[in-house]
Amino acid sequence: MSDSSLLIVLSTLSTGLIMGAIFSLVAAGVTIVYGCVWLPNASNGQFFLLAALVVWTFTLSFGWSSLAASLAVIVLGVLLAVVLELVLIRRLYNAPNRNVAYFVVTLGLTQILSGIFSLTYAKWSDQFSVPPVIEGITMLGPFPISNNRLLAMVVSLGVLGLLFALLRYHPYGRALRAVFQNREAAALRGVNVRAIYRLSFVLGSTIIFLGGILFAFAYSFDLSVAWTMSITAFAIMIVGGPGSVLGALVVGMTFGFTQAIVSIFASPTVAMFSYLGAMLIMLLFQPNGLFKR
Amino acid sequence: MKLLEVSGLSKSFGGVAALANVVGHSIEGETLGMIGPNGSGKTTFVNVVSGHVRADRGTLTFAGVNIARMRPHQLAEVGLCRTYQAVRVFSELSTRQNIENARLLLEDRGLGAAEVRELTEWLRLDRNLDKQAGSLTLFEQRRLELLMRLVLKPRLIMLDEPVGGLAVTEVNEMITLLQELKARCSLFVIEHTMRVIRELADRVMVLIAGEKVADGPPSEILQNQRVIDEYLGNAAHA
Amino acid sequence: MTSHSQYGIAAATLVILALPFLLAGNRFLGFVLGMTLISLLWATGMNLLSGFVGLMPLMFAGIAGIAGYAMVYFTRTAGWSFWLAMPVASLLAAIIGVALGLPALRLKGFYFTLCSLVIQSVLTLAFIFFPKFTNGDTGINEIAPPDWFGGTALTSVRFDFALAVAAVAGILFSTWLTQTHLGKKFVAVREDDVLAESIGIDVVRTRITAFFIVSLYAGIGGCFYSAYVGFISPRAFDVLVSLNIWLFVTFGGRGTILGPIIGTAILAPIPFLLQDLQAFKDILSGTLIILVTLLMPGGIYGAWLKLLSRKRGREVQTTQVREQGV
Repeated sequence: MSDSSLLIVLSTLSTGLIMGAIFSLVAAGVTIVYGCVWLPNASNGQFFLLAALVVWTFTLSFGWSSLAASLAVIVLGVLLAVVLELVLIRRLYNAPNRNVAYFVVTLGLTQILSGIFSLTYAKWSDQFSVPPVIEGITMLGPFPISNNRLLAMVVSLGVLGLLFALLRYHPYGRALRAVFQNREAAALRGVNVRAIYRLSFVLGSTIIFLGGILFAFAYSFDLSVAWTMSITAFAIMIVGGPGSVLGALVVGMTFGFTQAIVSIFASPTVAMFSYLGAMLIMLLFQPNGLFKR
Repeated sequence: MKLLEVSGLSKSFGGVAALANVVGHSIEGETLGMIGPNGSGKTTFVNVVSGHVRADRGTLTFAGVNIARMRPHQLAEVGLCRTYQAVRVFSELSTRQNIENARLLLEDRGLGAAEVRELTEWLRLDRNLDKQAGSLTLFEQRRLELLMRLVLKPRLIMLDEPVGGLAVTEVNEMITLLQELKARCSLFVIEHTMRVIRELADRVMVLIAGEKVADGPPSEILQNQRVIDEYLGNAAHA
Repeated sequence: MTSHSQYGIAAATLVILALPFLLAGNRFLGFVLGMTLISLLWATGMNLLSGFVGLMPLMFAGIAGIAGYAMVYFTRTAGWSFWLAMPVASLLAAIIGVALGLPALRLKGFYFTLCSLVIQSVLTLAFIFFPKFTNGDTGINEIAPPDWFGGTALTSVRFDFALAVAAVAGILFSTWLTQTHLGKKFVAVREDDVLAESIGIDVVRTRITAFFIVSLYAGIGGCFYSAYVGFISPRAFDVLVSLNIWLFVTFGGRGTILGPIIGTAILAPIPFLLQDLQAFKDILSGTLIILVTLLMPGGIYGAWLKLLSRKRGREVQTTQVREQGV
């Protein structure tokens, strides 16, 4: 294989892995919250973007180190999730059709955040990039990958691994899965369902914020990533199976590679079309997705 | 003549057999009862027969017509309808509107205004016509359910635990009502309360773990050793 | 239908028909009125569907867009009169709407909403990426107003009045519909589709019919929009438009005739009167969506009816107000 085709292959591979890892992470966050609380978070893209933008602010305007900024954003993210749960989310725990009600509420949240971004960040810059956490590049054969991107990928996959372990082995994880399956049965077995809801929402949202932070380090971005991420995350969740973290991983990586490959020939919008198409097909024929929760 | 006929009826959910090769029939004019422990498949049976769930295998006919692939609204046209274990009415609408909705199926071929009024009075709902159906008492709602089915001019009504949740005096009244109902159409009754079965059913099918284990008049069934061992012995019903 | 709401509808009709003349002097307000009337037509249509449990038709704007673009094609390229193009384009959009919505209508609750959102996204992307018909993101401008008698065109006050007539026609049609058997089936399916099916109502066919009628409203509104504003682009028919109309309906009180009228009358003029504060429009809109879902599922009209019933101390025969949920 000639050097240039090898480069293209390796480049595609690495983009696919990195994008895939981040996609999977965000999708995992979305799917946990949907599977457990029945909350489809339409504003997940805005959360993602928010995290990335705040990291940008902390590093560029405040001059903090990237690591400090990330940690700060995580803490703030957790706080935001807790506040949201308190003020908004818990009101609908017992509503009929709450998945639709939540979807609508989060659509409203999306509009609010998007409006706030237009008033603020949109005025400050068109494109945002964040200084790297670690410098340098690693050579994969003839192909250079920035260590920063590698870090993003490693952290994503690491967190996903932790998530798996949590769900499988830790009592909280088992309680979560019990509520996934059947909340009445879980309640009868002594699970504090409301507490699980709270934890799940905060956990899921924090994972989404983390995805945004990692993305900020891996790539420069603009405000449109919010809605592309939302669509992608939902598509991954539906195709992978609502509530299934394994599904989020497998399908997330697949979509990541799809994006990487498609970007060689065409604009990313074509990839978007394919995600929408995949989601549509799944909804119509197999709404429960490919993997069980 | 035979109304409902099932043969080899089977349905599994995720590997668990809810119904296994159920065979049975009901005859026009007779009241068929069905009893069995919780989870024995009684409600699945009704769901399959009434078109809410499709069977995996087996035949299902009603008055000679193959109804296996029919949806509930088509069954209503053929004369087969059901009520629900947890009573179901249009709770945000008025009683009158609930009845009007049931009359939509038959339109002009349905009961006339006078007949509907007579039924409404017989079921003692004439004072509540403008009340929101959700604000009626449980007994009133169950009576409304019956009224909505009668308006469909059915040949067979399948009743899923018609006295569930009722007080003792209400149970007595309901039994009387159902006995009078027998004159208007055939009934299929699922119940846990043995008194209802004894006083209403001409014949009883016993379902245990998805299989029909007995079929006969109540007196016979209630003395059947297996039925007693696997169901009645533990049941504390009158 | 209570006499109370009959008076309300009659009063609303008179006000709507009078407004174009009352505002004749001020073209800006006239334009705001026109846009509000188009939104009113849309809201009245969406209301027929929006009451359905979980059926939030986010593809509404896309269907309006199909009609809008088709109408422009028929009048410009085929040289038809607006009055021929409009019904044909609307019918076309309605048929496409049903075809697209058909598989989704089998889905329940959130899945339908999501499917609807996906279809809307596909439509918006189609509007952008098929510039042969739609001129892509640039949009189509200088759309002629509808032709009128004597070789003139329908403009300004006369156009506003035509829109008022269309809105009133839409309201009266939907009022009539609620009295028919079909209308009652809509309500029954909306309230409890499983029960409705048990008592003999063909739920799937009812949903399809409802969807067709709603799509007609969307399409007719879309045609009027194109001719009135004179400029269309994919942005004019995207998901935010659907969401806004949904908000007008829900804020006013879905499932009632007066609700959408009230909601549209209050909310539709706001973005035009707040011209410069674009981003605030988003924030306001989003906040209202959240507030309405959490606090006022019955909308303004619903809250008013509840107040009335408490004052009268008996159960008011509300025709279509739901307590909770979407």
